[in-house]
Amino acid sequence: MKLQSFLKTALVTGALAISTSAMADNFPSKPLSMVIGWGAGGSTDIQGRVLANVMSEHLGQPVNVINRPGAGGGVALQQLANNRDEGYTFVFGTSMSVTFGPLATPTNYDVDSFKYVAGVTLGQSALVTGANRAYSNWQELIEYAKANPGTSYATQLAFDRMLIEYIAKQEGIDLRIVPTSGGAGMAPLILSGDVEFAYSGGTHSGYAETGEMPVLASLADDRLVAFPDAPTLRELGYDIDPGDIRVVMVPKNTPEERIAKLAEALEAATQDPRFIEITEERILMPVVFMDGETVHEDLRNKVTSYQAIIEEMGGLSE
Amino acid sequence: MPEFGALYNAFSTALGWESIAVILGGVLLGYVVGVIPGLNRAVAIAIAIPLTFYMSPYAAISFLIGLSKGTAAGSAVSAILLNTPGESSSAATCLDGYPMARDGRPRTALKIGLLASVIGDLLATLLLIAVAIPFAAVALKFGPYELAAILVFALVFIAGMAGGSFLKGMAAGGLGIILGTVGMDPETGAMRLTFGYIELMEGVPILPLVIGTLALSEMFVQLDEYRRNRGQKAINLSDNQQDDLSWPEFRKTLPTIFRGTAIGAFVGALPGLGPSVGSFMSYGAAKRAAKDPERFGKGDPRGIAASESADNAVIPASYIPLFGLGIPGSVSAALLVGAFMIHGITVGPLMLREQPEMLFSIFSGMLVASLIMLAVGWYGLRIFARITNIPSHIVIPIVIFLCLAGIQVQGYGTFGLLVVFGFSILGYFLKKFDYSFVTFLVAFIVTPMLELNLRQSIILSGSDPAILLDRPIAAFFVVLTLLLLLRFAWTGLKQRKKTVPNAD
Repeated sequence: MKLQSFLKTALVTGALAISTSAMADNFPSKPLSMVIGWGAGGSTDIQGRVLANVMSEHLGQPVNVINRPGAGGGVALQQLANNRDEGYTFVFGTSMSVTFGPLATPTNYDVDSFKYVAGVTLGQSALVTGANRAYSNWQELIEYAKANPGTSYATQLAFDRMLIEYIAKQEGIDLRIVPTSGGAGMAPLILSGDVEFAYSGGTHSGYAETGEMPVLASLADDRLVAFPDAPTLRELGYDIDPGDIRVVMVPKNTPEERIAKLAEALEAATQDPRFIEITEERILMPVVFMDGETVHEDLRNKVTSYQAIIEEMGGLSE
Repeated sequence: MPEFGALYNAFSTALGWESIAVILGGVLLGYVVGVIPGLNRAVAIAIAIPLTFYMSPYAAISFLIGLSKGTAAGSAVSAILLNTPGESSSAATCLDGYPMARDGRPRTALKIGLLASVIGDLLATLLLIAVAIPFAAVALKFGPYELAAILVFALVFIAGMAGGSFLKGMAAGGLGIILGTVGMDPETGAMRLTFGYIELMEGVPILPLVIGTLALSEMFVQLDEYRRNRGQKAINLSDNQQDDLSWPEFRKTLPTIFRGTAIGAFVGALPGLGPSVGSFMSYGAAKRAAKDPERFGKGDPRGIAASESADNAVIPASYIPLFGLGIPGSVSAALLVGAFMIHGITVGPLMLREQPEMLFSIFSGMLVASLIMLAVGWYGLRIFARITNIPSHIVIPIVIFLCLAGIQVQGYGTFGLLVVFGFSILGYFLKKFDYSFVTFLVAFIVTPMLELNLRQSIILSGSDPAILLDRPIAAFFVVLTLLLLLRFAWTGLKQRKKTVPNAD
């Protein structure tokens, strides 16, 4: 009996000692996990793997990549919201999954369930059209659509559908909105002229040189890197910041000093040529470094503005 | 037309060290799988897809194509030495291959099989390249109306041609369509048949589905058969000097090989028929064309040549509708679609415009694969002859392990395992009751595409069927589909059972 209770005490003290020593800032003292909410081989995955590599060099511990695909990144976030690893497990993903995701589908998390380590890449989505159309900029398109009820628009996400319905309501135009999947589904519709204009996540960046897919409006918060002439929605007079940021997030209970450690590694990664190359040359998106507080504030504002739009529209379309 | 620079780059990619290593790996693995009777092509591709996650898209696809070609060549080995086809499509090879091997000429038989395989494969690959590119250039102009009409046509065609009864084909296709609609509605965002599983929001994950229905279920079938035929012995390769292929003997088989290639390429280009149909048709044609048909079945080299050339020609030819239209016409093509999807590429005519280099690299890689197949088969003859003796009790557990490991690699966790087990049971019964597998799988794969194009057509036209008058190609396929349905229904009524062997 005595021996047993002695052992127990010893174990408990030992465990405490270990956990306090962990708190005493030798984080990370074991391998970390980067969870990616998309399947292996996608653009987030390709980029995340390079990021994990660079981070692990900086942190001195392996960073293992785990794919948890599903629900537009939602499955990964659902698990992260319940995670108690205190910084050892983090998600690399798109901010859209935390801002718009919870508004569109029932989730167990929202924008405040997480802390944001940093934003490292800016999305470059856009509203695009094809060559040889009757309009060459946004204003002309709106005129065209007013004159031609039933002008067609190809949507890919619930988010861009909300945007376009909001815009259509503001402008008093009547659109035929056709669903399509991914850039590969959108491109033939636009190139063949079957559809007038469309949402594009990144496909247009590949057509920047040929001019086959002109951009009518930027769906980033700022103008696009490859299409500096296309205005943002705000410049066009719509009260929306649609930009998507690729961010690293942790559960909100994660200790601050650990977040700082991870942020340091991310800042180093955004200056690493390997990460810059995969992002800017393969994925065609600009690398940035936005600190966690700024990201969180920005995302909160986005949620508020999306909520306002949804309310104004009387709910998301079914 | 493709630029010269793109072609040059494509060939230098395909002839690079990395590329050759990957293709060699694929062909070797395919050969082994082809040789081992319990393992078939679909099983091999399904469990190999996870192996390709961290390869570049080009390497991944070349690996899988090499694998798929290798199985077709390797399957002749067990057909000849063991009288058990490594793939069902080499069943016709047994007819003359085994008698020839029993007569003390196994090496000759194997070499004829190999050469016929390589020639059939190489010529059909050239045909694929020649046909797919102009095809894709035309298909690029297709809009949602044409695509929807062609997809419906292809599904009905496959259901009718894939063997067994037309009703069963339609049932299998219907099941595939239902499973293909699981997940978020593309237009309204409503959840369909997800039963509250957030993991099903984007549809039934393709990898667990194919690993379950194709690979794991096949192991159950194999277990079943293992109890019955244990202890078969393969014929050994002797050191008999007389047993070797001479040029005059080979030359006599050449016309048969060319005929077989043509038949195989034709059958392959039509969706749903598959290599078994090709090899039996070619065997029949060779026998009919021969002056001495009574020699067939008693060890005639032309029998082997006919069957193997057609069997191998089917594989590249079945990629014509895949690269030309984005429609998979066989199980292995359907699996390739899945592999492309995992690597973020939509296979089809758009590749010609958006990734021409990748497309040409894959084509050149396929030619490289043919040649590697020849080298592997020629120098590995003796080793592969040994592999035929690997017993099922070693193969089956390894494959089951790979099935489950593959799911974990993709990151589906326990949910993925549940899906795999569920679908393995479904696959087992589909096989036992002879429901068309190709139809099921192709329907599952193309349903999202079909649904999207159909809905786009309806929305864009404002639900007005008169749009078909402006779209002659779409109208043509709609009419063709109706005629096909009537014909299948008619023959189905007349003879409740068809005698076409099961495809792929």
